[in-house]
Amino acid sequence: MSPVIDESGRVNLFHDEFARCPQPAYAELRRRCPVGRMVLSGAPVVSRYEDVLWALRHPEIFSSEMEMHMQLGTERPMIPQQIDPPAQTRYRKLLDPHFSRRKMEELAPAVARHARELIDGFAAKGECEFDSAFAIPLPCTAFLHLLGLPLSDLSFFLEVKDDIIRPHKGRPGVLPTEFQSFRNAAGARNYEYFRRALDEREVRPRDDLLTALSRAEIDGERLTRNEILDICFLLLLAGLDTVTSTLGCNMTYLASNPEQRRRLVEQPTLIPGAVEELLRWETPVVAVPRVLKRNVTLSGVELKEGELATLLLGAANTDDEHFEDAQRVDFERERNIHAAFGAGPHRCLGSHLARMELRVAMEVWHERIPDYAIKPGETPRFSAGIREALYLPLVWDV
Amino acid sequence: MRVRLDRAKCVGHGRCYVLAPDVFEDDERGHCVLRKEEVPKEFLEQARRGEQNCPEGAIALVLDPPEPGLRAR
Repeated sequence: MSPVIDESGRVNLFHDEFARCPQPAYAELRRRCPVGRMVLSGAPVVSRYEDVLWALRHPEIFSSEMEMHMQLGTERPMIPQQIDPPAQTRYRKLLDPHFSRRKMEELAPAVARHARELIDGFAAKGECEFDSAFAIPLPCTAFLHLLGLPLSDLSFFLEVKDDIIRPHKGRPGVLPTEFQSFRNAAGARNYEYFRRALDEREVRPRDDLLTALSRAEIDGERLTRNEILDICFLLLLAGLDTVTSTLGCNMTYLASNPEQRRRLVEQPTLIPGAVEELLRWETPVVAVPRVLKRNVTLSGVELKEGELATLLLGAANTDDEHFEDAQRVDFERERNIHAAFGAGPHRCLGSHLARMELRVAMEVWHERIPDYAIKPGETPRFSAGIREALYLPLVWDV
Repeated sequence: MRVRLDRAKCVGHGRCYVLAPDVFEDDERGHCVLRKEEVPKEFLEQARRGEQNCPEGAIALVLDPPEPGLRAR
């Protein structure tokens, strides 16, 4: 039995073992309690592919409008993530073209350049702590590039997003009751930063996303200042940690599986398939939350209006009912319908940005440092929630 | 062989036009558009990969309708 699930089927998604290696717990959940319950809160946890996908495609029942449940330092719901169709559809029509695959591919050379510069900084040392040296700065520089903000603001954004997502980071001894005040303060700084950036662009428009947002219209009407701020807030919170975490999960897997890694080095054309397969297998964004708008029955279990459901994307992505040989990591998998970016109307707005960043990062890294391993005697450490490899010491020959 | 697309189901995952660029392309929002409804033989394998990898099940492959002259009376 997995240590993550107790005898009565209650699951602890914040268990260290779950963050490190969640797949065995997923299998047990799907088998024993496809709609399980969270320890303490008793909130429902959905784990079968069919149920998770159904929920994602029915936002009128499984709603994303949950500002009361998620206190992330925001003053209003984030756009478009915390708003459901039909209002959400109008925002997506406006935002999707700015995050299309074509647009994101235009950023690939800049991301490759940043990746090379980062590696230049530590390659000769023969070791690095991957999270801080590569996984954290890379997505953040891509984000700044996309929005048209100066790279010198990197540390500001890293501080803000950490205070909101991981307020305990770098603050030993701080009590969870104090977390909210850090989140709110960081949120206020974030609003203030973007207010100023938007003011500047009103005077002097530029060729960047912020200028485009301030001029964009929906049905002939411009976005309000608050709407733009609520979009910027989402871009910051959704765009940085997620790719950081995915990079760490990927490198942990590849460092621990040298024969798979060698195949990527010898055949770089396998990298896009490997990115998809590792998104499926590792699913760094383990789950997405939804609020029940009415009672509904999934896998024979009744969920009640008002409950906060956890849709376990990672469990769905490793479901044997929907993936051939689901427990095997296969970079050449023919059919890979994973939901690592969700599905339905809320499909991750940044999925094409993430895919480009991951592909470019994997290509550049393996070109420069093809052979590496986890530092002998060390164990990588993963965070609960989004699975970030907070401590991933890598070594290689120089 | 023909390929059918249910545009109401497409949410822009973009797997089809990445894996099968000769059969599918992207519109401005990154949603799927069919290049041609009829799939030439050389792109059949691509079309199948696109259909198999759509997480929304928005793509279907259908056999060509029989020619009118061959229809049973």
